[in-house]
Amino acid sequence: MVVGDYLLAGLVAMLTGLDRVALVQIMISRPLVAAPLTGWVLGNPMVGMEVGMLLELLWLGRLPVGAAIPPDDTQVAVGATVLAVSMGHLLDLNGMPLVILSVLIAIPLGKFGQVFDRLARHVNDRLAVSGHNALMTGSIDSFERYHLFGLASFALASLATAVIIVLLGSFVLYFVAPLFIGAVREAGLSLQYSLILVGAASLLGTINVNRSISLFCAAFTGTMLVLWLR
Amino acid sequence: MKEIRLSWLIFLRIYLRSFLLQASWNFDKLQNLGFFYLILPGLRHIYGEQIPVDVRQRHCDYFNTHPYFAPLVAGTTLRLETLSISGEEPAVDAETYKNMVMAPLAAMGDALFWGGIRPLAALIGLLIASQGSLWAPLVFLVLFNLPHLLFRGIGLVLGYVQELRAIETIQKCRLPDLAIRLKESTTVLIGVLCAYLAFKGCEHQELSAIWGFVQLPIVLLFAWLAHKGVTSLFLVLLTTSSLLLLALLF
Repeated sequence: MVVGDYLLAGLVAMLTGLDRVALVQIMISRPLVAAPLTGWVLGNPMVGMEVGMLLELLWLGRLPVGAAIPPDDTQVAVGATVLAVSMGHLLDLNGMPLVILSVLIAIPLGKFGQVFDRLARHVNDRLAVSGHNALMTGSIDSFERYHLFGLASFALASLATAVIIVLLGSFVLYFVAPLFIGAVREAGLSLQYSLILVGAASLLGTINVNRSISLFCAAFTGTMLVLWLR
Repeated sequence: MKEIRLSWLIFLRIYLRSFLLQASWNFDKLQNLGFFYLILPGLRHIYGEQIPVDVRQRHCDYFNTHPYFAPLVAGTTLRLETLSISGEEPAVDAETYKNMVMAPLAAMGDALFWGGIRPLAALIGLLIASQGSLWAPLVFLVLFNLPHLLFRGIGLVLGYVQELRAIETIQKCRLPDLAIRLKESTTVLIGVLCAYLAFKGCEHQELSAIWGFVQLPIVLLFAWLAHKGVTSLFLVLLTTSSLLLLALLF
């Protein structure tokens, strides 16, 4: 990977990060979209798709309600994709085991996203005061500028999270990959499916609907029987 | 005095500005700047460049609702402002209306969009992705954004045209019931996805599909743990460490 690739990935990190709260919210921030998009700009959309699949359901049940800040699954997806593509070249590894390792290393680092997001919102507290003062003095143009400056806080918070995930993740992956790649390859498909199943279970546990267990069990059993008997 | 009407161009500008509602989201007054920014083209049309101080004050105070419902609130707020400037006495003034509806609409929007449409679209996308198709993100985006973008636009026009009656119209749509139906569909799709993965896992390990049923209590146990507040991060660490340990031992 060249410097230009990292810059492009940084741009994707900011754009998708803005989509989480501050801008548009058309859900390009979801791992299922953000990761393949990152993979695509780095020339390997399939790696991104694999990362997105593993991460999509993990925090889907955590709603961005009011002042609650869910874990930054967007930057975990972007960072894990960059890790999988860049470290694949460096360590001469590829395939699902490397994707799984990258995701497993990126997931805990996603905690930094919550810290930076909170920081961005505190910066916006000051912007809000300045914007309000500008409005009260009749300076509408300044008010609009202060409001739009808030985008910069969110974009920088997203970029900072992605940079930390990639830098710390690369360092950890460089030492961990040779030790664990064999075991991950051995566990292979079970590990891949289990990550998706953990996500599904988390969503099921937080979906808060009556009869969810009966509906889930009926759908699971019915599908298994159809697949088994066909 | 003749009532001032907003043009379609102003509606379009408000619609586009609704995408920037949360640009300066802050802990103190949440979407306060965003809401004023959203209705600014309408206020300029109603009051001219010199928007009165009391109008500026009341529309830049604490505000928080679901971002997709904000255009609906904006439409009604602007209509109430036009009614009051043209000498009519609306049943409720714009500020009281905002304070009355923002929290219920936020709860409705969270349940419908974050809790209903988004997980359902994501699961359909995941099922497509599990077939190795790169169309999955696009399908997810289309499924989610068709109702989302329509809702913003219709909400804005509905709020302006029907003013206070827009809330009745929204109530008649029974959106909370729709959200529950969507969540139930999502639950069914979670079952389908888990069964498909369990079956594929057995097929790959050359085991009888009957072993796939073992996944059912495991997923239910994890769902119960998640329901009790155990974090996804802990569940991921528990699962991967167990599987890696098994792989290292055997």
